[in-house]
Amino acid sequence: MSEQISQHVGLDIGTSRVVAARKNEEAESIESQLNAFVRLPHSKMTEASLGRENVPFSISDGHILVYGNESAALADLLGQEVRRPMTQGFLNSAEPASLEQIEEILSSVLTPGEGEDLSKTRICFSVPAAPSGNQESLTYHEATVRQVLEKLGYSDIRSINEGVAAVYAELEETNYTGIGVSCGGGLCNVALAYMSVPVMTFSIAKGGDFIDTSAAAVTGEMANRIRLVKEETFHFNGHYSDKVQQALTVYYDDMIQSVVQGLNDALRGSRQVPKMSRRVPLVLSGGGAMPEGFKARFERALQAANLPVPVSEVRLAKEPLHTTARGALVAALSE
Amino acid sequence: MKGERRLGVFVHSIIGMARQTRVPGRIAGAAVGLRASRIDDPVQRLRFLRRTVGDRCPWSPAVIRESGWWRGNRGKIAVAAAALLAWPVLEVSQGVSGFLSAVPVVSAKTGSIESYPNVWLLEAGAGSEVWSNGLRIERRFEVANQPSAFQAYPHRQDRPPVKMTAPVGIVYHTTESHLAPLEERQNKRLKIIGETLLGFIRENKAYHYVIDRFGRVWRVVRDTDEANHAGNSVWADGEYSYLNLNRGFLGVSVETQTAASGEETPATPAQIHSLKVLTEMLRSKYRIVAGNCITHAQVSVNPSNNQVGYHYDWAAKFPYIEAGLPDNYEKAPPAIWMYGFTYDPSLVTVTGARYWRGLLKAEVRLREDATAHGVGPEAYRKSLSQRYRALFGRMKSRAEASAEAKQKAMKESAE
Repeated sequence: MSEQISQHVGLDIGTSRVVAARKNEEAESIESQLNAFVRLPHSKMTEASLGRENVPFSISDGHILVYGNESAALADLLGQEVRRPMTQGFLNSAEPASLEQIEEILSSVLTPGEGEDLSKTRICFSVPAAPSGNQESLTYHEATVRQVLEKLGYSDIRSINEGVAAVYAELEETNYTGIGVSCGGGLCNVALAYMSVPVMTFSIAKGGDFIDTSAAAVTGEMANRIRLVKEETFHFNGHYSDKVQQALTVYYDDMIQSVVQGLNDALRGSRQVPKMSRRVPLVLSGGGAMPEGFKARFERALQAANLPVPVSEVRLAKEPLHTTARGALVAALSE
Repeated sequence: MKGERRLGVFVHSIIGMARQTRVPGRIAGAAVGLRASRIDDPVQRLRFLRRTVGDRCPWSPAVIRESGWWRGNRGKIAVAAAALLAWPVLEVSQGVSGFLSAVPVVSAKTGSIESYPNVWLLEAGAGSEVWSNGLRIERRFEVANQPSAFQAYPHRQDRPPVKMTAPVGIVYHTTESHLAPLEERQNKRLKIIGETLLGFIRENKAYHYVIDRFGRVWRVVRDTDEANHAGNSVWADGEYSYLNLNRGFLGVSVETQTAASGEETPATPAQIHSLKVLTEMLRSKYRIVAGNCITHAQVSVNPSNNQVGYHYDWAAKFPYIEAGLPDNYEKAPPAIWMYGFTYDPSLVTVTGARYWRGLLKAEVRLREDATAHGVGPEAYRKSLSQRYRALFGRMKSRAEASAEAKQKAMKESAE
């Protein structure tokens, strides 16, 4: 079968974004969509306008469902919250349109290339580590995503843990040994790999959504607005220009402390962790790691934690939003 | 291509040695690491590592180092490592793969409709555990082993194997050890024999649980770790088949002998009660389907002559009903209808009517499946056998061979 594979795709299915990385011969390309949608009342004029602007949408039950990147701006414009096919890393069981919308969003980033035969394309998608005691969510989520991808025409479908994907994308110079941390919308995923072998993985249910909703609750703003502020202007600098900035700093710190504490507990509690003869690097990826000052904040928390596995350096991934998809692509290529 | 295969074999021999004999891992790790560092292309490098190191870490600090072995073999290791480093850089081919690449880790549940007992932990101390159904587990002989991780093979052959870690079944054994008469005046002998047996089982990490003559339940190898109890073996449920059940199936052994007496079952009433409460607890804790609770005789196979029933533990007279399970002797051994194994007619003589029903069902099913595939039974059996050999060849590591040898040695010694 492997001789027949001609295309490879890495797919990051995150709570807030879906990113596809593909490699055709030497060229690498990235497609990305917000993993969200918003419902608008149907009218011919709206439908025509969206079509003219090439905004992806579908029509259901007399409403227009706009999904992907444009949904956030439209929701902000209309004073609505976006709806999410996924929550906390997994398919959102409370969202009735979850399956239809995830299928639409996936198909929008997985547009086949000219002459591409999907049966000869190997696709590797990211999965989170199951939160403690919630293995069933992962099983259901993974099986459902496989079904959706099969429905879209793929037959060679693989999966990879999100933290491990960060290691595969960024740590080739240490023979894929190190710690990958992916700060996503729903979860922060962490993995320790030793010479490519996932030794320990876990996830913390605190990600971008946690920061948005917590900051929204204390400031009275809508979570969608908080998210836009966070992505456009927020940075750690110790000076708070307003209450939103202050709240964001507090909940970012909470997330960092939780990840570092979880990492410390997992390393101390795991019997699988090998004794490292050298210090290992830690790579930060995901949208949550992007604010200016995040890396320094994380380093400070690590130093205070005194991890049992010594860390040589903390580095920010080259393109944090694309790291998981690139790692999944590397995994697909290396199968 | 020939050079690539030789490289693959060579690297595997290093890793195999590390896995099987617990060589100090830094030597093998450094050898593979340095070898990988010489591969420029990141994808090729990752492919090399994934195919040599595999899907689990062989350098677990939980591994107990055997200094005697190391002293005796360090010269060979040094030569092998040096030769490995001197090997020219080659592209790693598909053929190098011996350990399967990372596969998804999923719950051990089968998803089938099944009722499970509801048992919970009442109290736990350093020396024992008490469970809500009255089960008491003694932990004085408890020991860790390699963490259990295994592949489950979906019935649909176009699906990739699935990596699992939680137990999905129970295999019942007999210790076949020396038995003193169960009499009050034999107390001292009974205790000495029991303690010696437990020490031996602990040393060989032979079973997860032992039920002694008095019905006491001893945990020996931890549930999360593999034990050397089943060797070459095959079982299947509604979704997956499983090969070599040391991983994924918990070994529960009853201190008794198959031919101990002419009674219906060689287990004492106290042992049967313990079998029942222990099975309830394990089924409750791991959501193990009743059909995956079976005896060693039902799962044991001999790949060298392609026959089932290599081990005879509980080939008959296992008290399924009394242990709270359906009569799983009714089950057709998957080794026959899924993987083309045959059986020696003497097995029928040994097992009697109870196991015979399952054997007969397996033969009938194999013939039906052959007809459905439009081929004769023997041609179909041959194709099944080839599939088993392909899977077996892929998964059989030197570590597993070592475990099998240990188990055999233990049984022979006990006998």
